[in-house]
Order: sequence, then C-alpha cells, then structure tokens
Amino acid sequence: MSGACILEVKGLSIKFGDFTAVDNVSFCVDRGEIFGFLGANGAGKTTTIRMLCGLLAPTSGSALVGGLGFEDGGLGIKKIVGYMSQKFTLYNDLTVGENLDFAAGLRKLEPAYAKKRRKELFELIAFNKPLSSMVSSLPGGIKQELALAAAMLHDPEIIFLDEPTSGVAPASRARFWALIRRITGLGKTVIVTTHYMDEAEQCGRIALMRAGRLIALGSPEELKKSAFSGPMAELDFKGTEAASFISGLEKARGLLELSPHGMRWHAAFKDKAAMDAALAALPASASAALIRPSLEDVFIRLVEGAER
Amino acid sequence: MNITLRAFIKKELTQTLRDGKMRALLFGAPIIQMTIFGLALTTEIKNIKLAAFSQPGDAMFERVTEGFYSSGWFARAAHAAVEDPFELIASGRADAVLIAPDGGLARSSERGDGKMQLLVDASNATKARAVEAYSKSIIAAAAVREYGASGEPAIQFDVRVLYNPAMESSMFLVPGVMGMLVCLITIILTAMSLTREREIGTFETIVSAPLSNAEVLLGKTVPYVVLGIADAALVVAAGYLIFGVPVRGPLWQLALVALAFVINTVSIGTFISTVSKNQQQAMLGGFMFLFPAILMSGVMYPVENMPGAVIAAAYLDPLMYFVRLLRNIMLKGGDSYVLWSNLGALLFMAAFTAALAYKRFRQTLN
Repeated sequence: MSGACILEVKGLSIKFGDFTAVDNVSFCVDRGEIFGFLGANGAGKTTTIRMLCGLLAPTSGSALVGGLGFEDGGLGIKKIVGYMSQKFTLYNDLTVGENLDFAAGLRKLEPAYAKKRRKELFELIAFNKPLSSMVSSLPGGIKQELALAAAMLHDPEIIFLDEPTSGVAPASRARFWALIRRITGLGKTVIVTTHYMDEAEQCGRIALMRAGRLIALGSPEELKKSAFSGPMAELDFKGTEAASFISGLEKARGLLELSPHGMRWHAAFKDKAAMDAALAALPASASAALIRPSLEDVFIRLVEGAER
Repeated sequence: MNITLRAFIKKELTQTLRDGKMRALLFGAPIIQMTIFGLALTTEIKNIKLAAFSQPGDAMFERVTEGFYSSGWFARAAHAAVEDPFELIASGRADAVLIAPDGGLARSSERGDGKMQLLVDASNATKARAVEAYSKSIIAAAAVREYGASGEPAIQFDVRVLYNPAMESSMFLVPGVMGMLVCLITIILTAMSLTREREIGTFETIVSAPLSNAEVLLGKTVPYVVLGIADAALVVAAGYLIFGVPVRGPLWQLALVALAFVINTVSIGTFISTVSKNQQQAMLGGFMFLFPAILMSGVMYPVENMPGAVIAAAYLDPLMYFVRLLRNIMLKGGDSYVLWSNLGALLFMAAFTAALAYKRFRQTLN
C-alpha cells in the first residue's frame, strides 16, 4: 500500500504546550487524488496541512511526504510541495509580474525557467491580463487562481490548498474547482481544506476532522453509507403543527438523526419499518419525501456522534 | 548575489517606494527636518538685550559698552541702577549682562588681574553662541582702540554661560538630526514591514519556501539596511548642498559608520517585530525605543550633563555612538581614536543585537 501513497501519515500528533492540535491521525493519499479535509475552525485541518508542508514538525508519529520525512527540518518537503495558505499569499501592492518574480526568487528558480513556467501556468489558469496589473485591482477569483499559479511555479508534486475559495463568488468557486481537477489530471496531487459541502462532494476522498482527531475517512458516497444505513426523509411542514410533531418524533424508536434544514427537517432512521412507524402520525398538512443524505447530514451526524 | 536575496531586495524596495506615505517618510521628512534646522543655523541674531553694570566714572568701560550698543546687534535693556544681574536674565528683560570689574576696567586691565564679566542666557543656544561671538569681536576692537594694534595688555573678559553650559550650536545639531532620522526610519520601517507580512499572512508563503531561517531574516532586513544607508547619504548630501554642513572626514568612514549603525537599528526593528502582534504595536514599540534613545544620544542635550545612571544607560544607546561618530567625521575631520573606539562599540553592539534578533526571529517562526 505504501508504494502507491505519495503521502503517508501514521499516528501523527502535534502538541502546542498542553494543547493537542492534532491527535493520532493516520491516512494515506494516492498520487493524482483530490483529498479534502472537512471540519470546523480549530478542528486541526490547517495544523495538519502546515505540518505536511514542512512548516511544523510532528510531536509524535510519522509522516512521509513524497517519501521525505523531517530529518532536514522540512526543507526537502518544502521543495516538492506547493502551499497556498488561507490568508493572503499575494502582495496587493505589487503587480502580477512582481509577485511571480518574488515567488520565483523564493524558490531560487532561474529566470528563464521561471518565465517558461509562468507562461504554462497562465495558460492553465487562462490568465489574460497584463503582467503589469496591480494585484489589488483583480477580482477575488482571479487573485486566488493567480495565487495557485504562484504556489505551483516550482512545479510541485503535491499542492496544499487551505480554504482556497473562502470569500470568493460562487461562479469563481466553480471555476477554481475545475482548475483543481485539471491539475490532478496532470498527475499532481491536491490536498484541500474547505467549509463548503458542495466542494467536499467534489473530492475523491474526505477526511473529517474534529478536535484534532480524524473521525471519518472515505469517498463522499462511502461516508454517506457509513453514516446512514437506513432511509432519510425530508419533512416539510405547512402549518403550525411542526413543533409538537418534532418534539414527539425526537423520542421515536429507530430515529438516528433529526436536524433542521431551513424550514424543513431531515430525519434518518435505522430502517424503513422504523421510518413508517414514526411518520404514521404525520399531520395531513405536512409532507415527507425520501431523500439521499447530503454531506451536511453526514457531517452533522458524524460530528455529533463524536461529541456524544 | 543570491537569487532569493536579490528577489527580496527588489520586492521590498518596490513596495516601499511605491507607497506614497513611505516615500514621504523616507525622502520628505529628512529634507523638511534639515530645512528647519538649517534655517535655525543661518538666522542672524539682532536686538540682543544687553544691560551694563559699572561703578560711576569708569570711562573705559563706558566706551566698551558704547561699542556694544553701536554695533547694531545689541539694544539697551531697561533696568534700575542697582539690580541683581541674574534676576535681570531670569526675568527675560536682558539676554546678556556686562559687568565691570571692581575699581574700573582701565585699572584692572593694566594690573592684568581683573576681568570684565559677561552673563549670557543660553536657554537659546543659538542666541548665546551669537552673543559670545559678537562680544569677542567687539572687545577685540575695543582693545585695539584703547591700546593700539599690539593690544597689550588686552582687555579680558570672562563669559559665564547660564542654563546651557555646553552651548550646543546648530552646526553641531545637524549631524545629530541625521543620526536621529536614520534611526527612526530604519527601526520603524523594518519593524512595520515584518509585522505587516505576519499580519496579512504573506509571511506564511515566505516560510513555506525551502529557505533557511538566516536567508528569510536576511531577505527581510538587508533591503532596509540598503534603504537606511541611502537615506543617510541623502541627508548628508542635503546638509552639504543646501546648508553647507561640511563632511571634513573621508566618505568611506561615513559609509562604514552608517553601515554599522544601520545593522544595529535594523536588528532592533526586527526584535520589536517579534514582540509585536500587529503594525500598531510595532509602531509603538519603535517609539518606545526611539524616545529614550534620542534623548540619551546627545543630539539635543550633552550626555556629560546627565545624571550618572542616565550616562550609564546612554552607553547602551547605539545612536549616541553614531552621533559622536558623525560629528567627529563631518565636523572635525575624523579623529582616528574617536573613530575606532566608537565604531568598535557600535560593531560590538551590532553583533549583539543581530544575534538577539536572529534568536527571537527563529523562535517566532513556528
């Protein structure tokens, strides 16, 4: 198995003083995969990523990134990975060209090579503005694509993107994810963190993190199957009976999960029999529809399950 | 040069010089400050209020006093015949008081033991300096008049400078102002630039590159050493071209001294950035260092006049050495003992502050 893994993490823990930011995490990422980290703020996603970029050394456990460990203080790892942090990675007060020149300088790239890479990456992200444009004048989505290009200037094998689309317009988000798929199509491995469930759906596999621990790992489909073995119904109340019915439903036998989704409720059951029994008393004005659980349902169930 | 260092220098200079506020701080402020001090330097003092005290019938003293009033620089200060001369100066009714020796000026001059006394209010140093210079020339002229070209025995007088015994002149102030400006600009710029990168998050990108800690630190500081030295050169040139402040010593000494000093200030700026969470804190931290550093440096007040504990602290102030060195090189032509002893101290401090900055910087990287 380890032969196929470009990233192999075993029993990884990172402590800051008494605080355990990452707690005994193990996983493996294949070459060419889009691997997503999902979790709330402070769940340990960024810390894990920073460690895998060679910025932090693990307190215990091991991690091999492209076959390299931390013996050299992370310098080897830094050479083969690209990292786009969740904060600003480009300078607003510099032009596109100046930003990329600086990124090339940080990586000690020869000017001719940097120029060639810049051309390739501009094609990849379909960037057609002049090099002399100030970064501050670019729209958020273009900025993020450019930041990705800057992180890929040294042609890294593994690219880490920490919340790359936060604060970006929906259309630009879709464009950015199309770009991520193009990159993995080139044989690169992309590891990405996100808050957005629709983005998580696009990952090959998702690692769900909570309080520093990895609580679930699998493809979106696998996660849905493992979280909900039985059916799920979406309840839509027209009248005012909702409150009393829901408080009764909470005590129903075989109910796995009940959560509000806007005006509607999602109820998951152990099996069809339990669902039929629980929904028999549904008021006439309300309707129930059988739905496929979303990743959000999975997230709520798994995170709450871990909290219980 | 290392590709990375070159990229850092290019980036930092572009960012700093593109920012209008930074340009004003770098180039506008020094010129304005120099202009203000330069004007103080060239202002001619007139209408100095002079009071004279003598015993009745001292004709020679009367003639000397008349020389003062007819020179055009001095005006008669109104006062009662018997009044305390110190009180006259303290109240501001006189800027200077001329007091005849007991028994008359002529007799004491012939004896060679009596002296005329001149009290000068030096709370305004420029004025006091002018009073001293004018008085000397008037007395010299009087001596020639009374005794002929040989001037023997000459009329002597004893100048007592009140309130500001060191009597700083503006010429003396200009190198001090240069030191102060270079200090201010390099510390604030370095501390702000580092804190800003941390604050907006671009620092994360820098440390994710495969660079050693020393490379990152040099990359973020060398550009400000370059800017600091360029600014020092600008200030020296402005002082020389606009106001004729001389550079009597060799330029390489000036450059070497500026380099040693700027390494100190950039290291201090780096240290301040490692204890600051944001740019406001970095700015405050910079001024917390700057105010005492400037006060103890001897730019405005001579270090020798300070209490013992402050003098001891002043020996830890790199600006004090820098200002001494600047004055030595620019005004005195660079006495080699002053040069090497103060430069040695400055280099020693540079090694210490750079090591401290590097240690703190490394600790805060993770």
